[in-house]
Amino acid sequence: MALLEVEAITKIFTRKKKPAHIVLENMSFTVERGQYVSLLGPSGCGKTTLLTMLGGFLTPDAGHIILAGQKVEKPGPDRGFVFQNYALFPWMTVRDNILYSLQVKKFSKQEQNERLQELLEISQLHGSENKYPVQLSGGMQQRVAVVRALASRPEILLLDEPLGAVDFQMRELLQEELAALVEGAKTTVVMVTHDVSESVYLSDRVIVMSGYKGQIVKDVYIDLDRPRDRQSEGFKAYVAELTGLVRQAFREKTGEMESVMSLAVPDTDYNSPATFTDAYNRMNSRYTNDVSYSRAVK
Amino acid sequence: MARNGCAISNHRTARLTPGDILDKYRGTLYTLMVVTVLMIAWYFAAKCIQNTLLLPYLQETVKEFFTAWIDYRIMSNLALTLRRVFTGFTYAFLIGIPLGLLMGYSQTALQSISPIINSVRQVPIMAWVPLSIIWFGLGDGPTVFLIAMSAVFPLVINTISGVHGIDPNYYNAARSMGASLPNIIRDIVIPGALPSILTGCRLAMGFGWMSVICAEFIATSAGFGFLMVEAQVRMETAQLYALMFMSGLVGFVIDKGFLTVEKKLTAWRYKDGVIGS
Repeated sequence: MALLEVEAITKIFTRKKKPAHIVLENMSFTVERGQYVSLLGPSGCGKTTLLTMLGGFLTPDAGHIILAGQKVEKPGPDRGFVFQNYALFPWMTVRDNILYSLQVKKFSKQEQNERLQELLEISQLHGSENKYPVQLSGGMQQRVAVVRALASRPEILLLDEPLGAVDFQMRELLQEELAALVEGAKTTVVMVTHDVSESVYLSDRVIVMSGYKGQIVKDVYIDLDRPRDRQSEGFKAYVAELTGLVRQAFREKTGEMESVMSLAVPDTDYNSPATFTDAYNRMNSRYTNDVSYSRAVK
Repeated sequence: MARNGCAISNHRTARLTPGDILDKYRGTLYTLMVVTVLMIAWYFAAKCIQNTLLLPYLQETVKEFFTAWIDYRIMSNLALTLRRVFTGFTYAFLIGIPLGLLMGYSQTALQSISPIINSVRQVPIMAWVPLSIIWFGLGDGPTVFLIAMSAVFPLVINTISGVHGIDPNYYNAARSMGASLPNIIRDIVIPGALPSILTGCRLAMGFGWMSVICAEFIATSAGFGFLMVEAQVRMETAQLYALMFMSGLVGFVIDKGFLTVEKKLTAWRYKDGVIGS
């Protein structure tokens, strides 16, 4: 049996004085234990909504999500969630951030310390455990966020554009750190990203989602040795293939949002690569309301 | 020898140069310069006007100011007033913080209570004086009530805005790590709102200190505000001036105290633990 089963889920956002927006319709897929899966697609395609539902912050309107035989209904420590901005508690030290899930479950001091040592080891954060998040570099914050999510030994790690806010030069370095960290923890991962090269570098499998009702365009297995070489022919071939698929997904999205996009980039030929990338990036920066879980509080 | 040399060089790197000290106290130095200029202006203005009822001589006021700190009567009245302020502030704190946390956390509570709060706080604080005398008679009662009344609103409002300012993902992160509602209140809501709450405390203390003096003009026969009215009635303007400077200075010191506490409690906001600068 697969570790994670997503069965025919549908999510509809109802909006005031506007027609209801079908974000996902009848979507199904499974994830095997130990797999690193990326959800790739244009912004607004529902990939973050999907991850938010996996996290239990939102509930699907139809269908269900089953993790290790248990139905997902609310957030819980069986899923480690890494937020786009990391959401490290700034008033807690690195130590308290990492051990938070153990502290609320009242683990003994000894268990907490043992777990802390293990996590500091795999994240190479020794010596920083008494610092506050504000004192850490971006890369260190990312590692704290990942090991904090791992602390409760979750079945699965959910990453929401973990490198979304990082600049390009830093990105590749942090991808390498993330790959090493996840490999060390031997965990199952579902990651949301809109960066094609990132998804190829990190994943065993990339699910490309279309902008139209979040349909799965294609499920691509990345059959490359690790650590991956970004310059290799195989890597470039995957990037080219996936870029083509995302482009196609993006076109479906723009079909739906024609009026909005014509305001943003008038007279654009979406088929030419340069303007495609430009318009694609523009879209991703425009529709930051993708973070639908942030209001799913209380 | 070697050990000695090492100790000396350590000492040297730690020592501040005169330039560093100047940088550190530059603001204070400038303030003192401005104060000196104002005092010189006062000195000559008083000489020109020649009416000590309106503007007493500088030297006389300074004398009054310094003798006041060793005057038993003034000091005991100041202590009385301070006690009233802290009592009133404590009441305001005990009511304002839980109310603010509730209103910040629950949209329902906010919607149902905030119109009431927002209209009650429009009533000028002095308009509560007659009613507070009816309720509490003369003495400590009405003053403490007025202090609490003026301090509670900044506390409530700042606590609400502090809770609203918390990143929603902190709640999500906590819940995904298995936190219960009491955990979330203790570990997310209170520390997250703390910087705002402490700002509210500073404002509340300031308002409390301002309103106590006014309240004491009317509702009591003791306290720092009462001494001022007395000085005015006796036409001792120099003492009145001195008392006013004292009230400003005391308020300033209380505020500085709160600022220090604020920086201590929210040290996590400052990089490399650098507090102050």
